[in-house]
Amino acid sequence: MSGVLWPHSIWLQAAALAGFVLGGIYAADLMERLLGRYVAGAGVRAGALLAGPFREAALLLSQQRSRTERPDAPAWALAPMLLAGLAAVAAGTVPLGPSAAVAGVDSGIVLFGAAMALVMVCVFLHGWSANSFAPLVGGYRFVAQALSFEMPLALVLIAAALPAESLSFGEIVRSQAGLWNVVRQPLGLPLYLVAALGVTFQGPLATPDAADLAGGTRAEVSGAALLAWRLARGAVLVAVAAVGAATFLGGWSGPWLPGPAWTVLKTLALLAVLVASRHLVARVRLERFVVVAWAVLIPLALLDVFLTGVFLL
Amino acid sequence: MSPSDLTTDLLFWLFGAGAVVSGYLVFRTDSMVRAAYWLLASFAGTGALLLLLHAEFLGLVLILMMAGEMTIMAVFMVMFMMNPAGLNPMTMVHQHKVAIAAGVIAFLGLGAVGLLGEFPERPLPETTSVDSARITADLGRELLGESMLPFETAGVALLATMIGAIALASRKGRFGTADAGSAAPEPPEEERRRREHEGSDDGGHHHHGHGHDQSHEHGHGQDHDHGHGHEHGGHG
Repeated sequence: MSGVLWPHSIWLQAAALAGFVLGGIYAADLMERLLGRYVAGAGVRAGALLAGPFREAALLLSQQRSRTERPDAPAWALAPMLLAGLAAVAAGTVPLGPSAAVAGVDSGIVLFGAAMALVMVCVFLHGWSANSFAPLVGGYRFVAQALSFEMPLALVLIAAALPAESLSFGEIVRSQAGLWNVVRQPLGLPLYLVAALGVTFQGPLATPDAADLAGGTRAEVSGAALLAWRLARGAVLVAVAAVGAATFLGGWSGPWLPGPAWTVLKTLALLAVLVASRHLVARVRLERFVVVAWAVLIPLALLDVFLTGVFLL
Repeated sequence: MSPSDLTTDLLFWLFGAGAVVSGYLVFRTDSMVRAAYWLLASFAGTGALLLLLHAEFLGLVLILMMAGEMTIMAVFMVMFMMNPAGLNPMTMVHQHKVAIAAGVIAFLGLGAVGLLGEFPERPLPETTSVDSARITADLGRELLGESMLPFETAGVALLATMIGAIALASRKGRFGTADAGSAAPEPPEEERRRREHEGSDDGGHHHHGHGHDQSHEHGHGQDHDHGHGHEHGGHG
């Protein structure tokens, strides 16, 4: 089955992955627009909706780039590229189908964790290097936020790796053949989604680029640089949703449809949950989130690991 | 997934030279954040070398840990050194004689270990597929078996260091809260007379008058306001 539906060549796999990520970015943007119109009680015209992301991209491309006084120009230019690279690495660890992931390494969750840890470096660098007040505060906010959600993120992935007896996402998907992790480890997916909101800094955890900071880390960015930053963020969002689908929703497994189609559907479902939070959940104060993360989320994640271990023994 | 010998050699020299050059740049740059991230680049090159040695888990964990460590280090240095953003140019090398002596001794010592020490001779298998999961499992058994005592000792030492660092940086200290407790510099005579005249002390919530914007950010400034009063003459 996989031979027909899933190419074996690494280049074709990489091309399929790129299509998956770009399609995911587009789908996430459409979902946000649709939900925004719905929440606002406004009507939806299909043509305007579908063309919306492209129009906005064209508008950003035609805008002038803003400058600040004595920024760290190399780091400022590097940050979006680095973020896009990290998104590609994170997406590469996801097994879209049963054969393999593009970067189907044995230590898949470590590779994904390393990419997510480097997102902190990216966002901080992006805010810091502009040499401007609001982006700098946004950068510091993201460091506090990232240090708080990294531990729950790592712990729920470790809990998912325990029954698989492997650090690779392929084995984690195979270990869910009987029962998906979302049922077997009920704490896992909610904690993962909180961390996913944190790492993609949106919805309730959109603290580093919040409106109360005049845009925070992206306050001084415009034009093509802003488009690159937003595309990179979208790619991270798709990668995080795809990893969640593989880790907790059984990845490619499902009846009737071929494997990759299930991966796409489950990823879209998680994308919808994450994107909906932008319109449906209020932004939290960062201080409260840090306290809750260290005092509640990390103990819950430890409990998740402990219960999984007890279940396995 | 089987890079030829030439590719491996090229990658080795690329990452090795990259690690050395970025390590050198740590001392040539003029900002704490840049220095921290050059060090991160150096560690990432070292992690890539570990990947080339098929130590997949070790290489990835090195990069994962260092991403967080270097950012935390940069933020702590900024907090302790009273340099609000780390953007202000400042020299990154101090105490030249001691530093040069320590550097030379450390280099000679590590070089002697590298050249004269006896290492186990276990060449990688010639096959293209290396069972990196087994290598990771062996590492885990080593860490929680034979080497458990040194491993756990290092862990406890690191934990103590972390608690110490948090105590030093925390808002609530022995001498009051960090943002209210440190003594403000003595205001000029006429300023003090004007304040006494107005009687407008708002209950110990001093603004320190260091002249940078961040001192007005008490609302959500828990990241960067703790350094007041520490390490005033720490650089220069």
